[in-house]
Amino acid sequence: MFQQLSFGKWILRGLVAGLVLLAPVVEAADTNQVSPPSADLENLTLEQLVNVQVTSVSKKETDLFASPAAISVVTQDDIRRMGATSIPEALRMVPGMDVAQITGNEWAVSARGFNSEYASSLLVLIDGRTVYTPGSSGVFWDAQDVVMEDLDRIEVIRGPGATLWGANAVNGVINITTKSAKDTQGGLVSASYGTEDQPITTVRYGGQLATNLYYRVYGKYSDHPGLESSTGSSTADSSTSLLGGFRLDYEPATQNTFTLQGNYYSGTAGREVNDVTLVPAAVRIIDNREDNSGGNILGRWTRAFSDESQLTLQMYFDHTRQGDGVGEAMLDTFDIDLQHQFAIGTRNDIVWGGGYRDTEAKNPPSFFLTFAPESQNLQLGNVFVQDDITLARDRLHLTLGSKLEHNDLTGFELQPSARLLWTPTRRQTVWASVSRATQTPSLAEYGRFNVAAAQPPSGPPVLVSVLGNPNVQAETLLAYEVGYRIEPTKRLSFDVTAFYNVYGRVAEPVSIPTTFETSPAPPHVLVASRWENAESGDTYGTELSVQWQPVECWRLTASYSFLHMQLQPDASADLSSPQQQFQIRSCLDLRRNVEFNGALYYTDRIATKSGSGMVPIDSCVKLDLGLTWRPIKSLEIGLWGKNLLQDQHAEFGSQESALITEIPRSVMGKITWHF
Amino acid sequence: MYKPDFPWSNLRAGSLLRPFLALASFLAFLPGADSGFGQEPSPSKYQVEAVFLFNFARYVEWPAAAFPATNAPIIIGVMGTDPFGDSLPHLIEGKMVNGRPFLIKHLAADSAVGNCHILFVSHSEASRMSAILGQAGALPVLTVGEDESFARNGGIINFVLKNDKVRLEIDLAAARKAGVAISSKLLAVADVVKGKPE
Repeated sequence: MFQQLSFGKWILRGLVAGLVLLAPVVEAADTNQVSPPSADLENLTLEQLVNVQVTSVSKKETDLFASPAAISVVTQDDIRRMGATSIPEALRMVPGMDVAQITGNEWAVSARGFNSEYASSLLVLIDGRTVYTPGSSGVFWDAQDVVMEDLDRIEVIRGPGATLWGANAVNGVINITTKSAKDTQGGLVSASYGTEDQPITTVRYGGQLATNLYYRVYGKYSDHPGLESSTGSSTADSSTSLLGGFRLDYEPATQNTFTLQGNYYSGTAGREVNDVTLVPAAVRIIDNREDNSGGNILGRWTRAFSDESQLTLQMYFDHTRQGDGVGEAMLDTFDIDLQHQFAIGTRNDIVWGGGYRDTEAKNPPSFFLTFAPESQNLQLGNVFVQDDITLARDRLHLTLGSKLEHNDLTGFELQPSARLLWTPTRRQTVWASVSRATQTPSLAEYGRFNVAAAQPPSGPPVLVSVLGNPNVQAETLLAYEVGYRIEPTKRLSFDVTAFYNVYGRVAEPVSIPTTFETSPAPPHVLVASRWENAESGDTYGTELSVQWQPVECWRLTASYSFLHMQLQPDASADLSSPQQQFQIRSCLDLRRNVEFNGALYYTDRIATKSGSGMVPIDSCVKLDLGLTWRPIKSLEIGLWGKNLLQDQHAEFGSQESALITEIPRSVMGKITWHF
Repeated sequence: MYKPDFPWSNLRAGSLLRPFLALASFLAFLPGADSGFGQEPSPSKYQVEAVFLFNFARYVEWPAAAFPATNAPIIIGVMGTDPFGDSLPHLIEGKMVNGRPFLIKHLAADSAVGNCHILFVSHSEASRMSAILGQAGALPVLTVGEDESFARNGGIINFVLKNDKVRLEIDLAAARKAGVAISSKLLAVADVVKGKPE
């Protein structure tokens, strides 16, 4: 406790010093900004009016309402009100998203089924950079630390976004964008402390280097204590994380914008893992401490030729390192992407582009998991084109497109889609789509997992393994979706979507005849299965959401989702996602700058992997409540209670360990200071 | 891959809209809309232009014959697609300039423009600009537009977006032809003034 207090004092001293150093820059920034901070637009003088910054709205942009896809947006306001301290926590608010906390630092996130700790069917991007790990084909959420206060929004498209976004956007695309440096000027210091997240400290400063050249620099430190399992034992999943980064935006005019951003993070995360050994032939649970670090740098240039035409070029480099005391895994990614948008005549809006990605993965072998080969250099190239055809102006639009990719593992993959958008009246839209998407196999599917070992009373030891298959192919999805939106009044809107997904060539371990193996020593019986594209099946479901603002200061959002999965021959994946989910969120503005916000979530029961078996997880109802107060314009104080209805509850198991971590009731306080 | 202008997935509005803007905007139903807290959002181009239209009435003088009575309303005509949504009606409600209230009219393609005092010609009418301005040119109508063809064909005040700010280009020769007098205060904030002031 005392250690944390002095850490806070150190931060404060650093800030004061920083302020003194940066004061000249702050002053310079002030004289350049003429727009009034909070005067009513109607009362401005002519001189003030000609200097008001307006949001640039190009003719091409349409609102969420007219999108031919199941799309939701989590805004900065939602994140701030609900006190979300991580991206997965923010994703809970999206209708139809399946978000489950596995341990203090791990999450299982998916949409429309197939949730697991290595859920791989979502493409996740942070400011255009993929945070997808080809090793496990998943996202390591604990390594994706961002300054939550500087997030602009999180756009989630449920359903295949493969045509524009590429392979592995099978069940959805999550596009996380941070605010431009222009919009994060000035300083921000926030500190939160709670029973589960303690403490998280963020410092950010943004300024202006020259006309139209804006920057921000930031640092964030978080420390999470470990949680407990259902038996009361500690699950050794404490974690710490340090993040530092910058962003530079050069926006001389709306025609040309440049962005340069980068960050570096370093952290440790604990988890309990199954330690499988052959000598002796046993499985033990041990505490594993991983240390992760990484950095990335990204540059993007956008040139707008006219209201309808725009070119974007983006390049980034990402380095990720993960060490667990046994070996060190490394992933280096270089990616370059081009996108061009233009109109042909009055009826066709074309987007086309291409990209190239070079990934170098190094996965040192451990007894548990051996990659084949250990070091891999993968190259991925793609081209895509999409045409938005106006069949009837402002009434009927048909969007046709396809992406063609080539990857080193499975060769060429074609991902076409067709979307129809009908706007019968200004307040209603109907849309339908058919798309094909593919899921590239993870590198682990080519390697070997030693899952368990045991020594029977007599005879040689037994080893249970999953063998890799060099011929494993990409999984396919054919998705049919429809949606309807209606906004009967300005304060009420409904959005319903339904989908039917047909999955093919889903990879899963298939048993092969038991054999005897002499290597690795000692000789042992091998009970094995091999990855095969043997699974197929379909899923269908619906997502419904309502937004209602009964009075000016009160906003309610509710959503319900239903999912039914039928996979054969192995139906265990059917149970990994809840069949029904419901949530209702309330945002209420009280007097004196106080906000009262709450959310209630219901999640149906599921069955997840736990160690080498399956374990049922009960359905649960969760309640989060939050109060925020802004005593003066630059200070915000927040208090939240999360998971209030139970002392603790389990959400998801892990195949790494038979212990299931329980998520406890928690309280969190946060102070945010803008200067 | 970052796709900032992916046509139908780009939501472009401040997540926080102040109450005044919330009324004007059809985005009120979206999550995050209308809280009144947090950072200042930027208004849209059309919200600022609507406020300009309202202000022009203060800084422009029409010939006496343009108004049938001392309390006859100032008529703002919008020709073509109306880009202002609810922002313009909300703005003029209950307000008066020189003892005159406001009235908004939406004009169809071939309506007579002579009844308006301020005529906003939308971008959608770009192809018919010379016909429209030819008709309005000699009448005491303050023509306001937002594109190049408007400026070329003798429109009086043209809105131009520069560095995300709404700027004015004023053609005094066209104003003189129409018989409307523009206050020097308005001329002072314009970026470009064509023709010599009297």
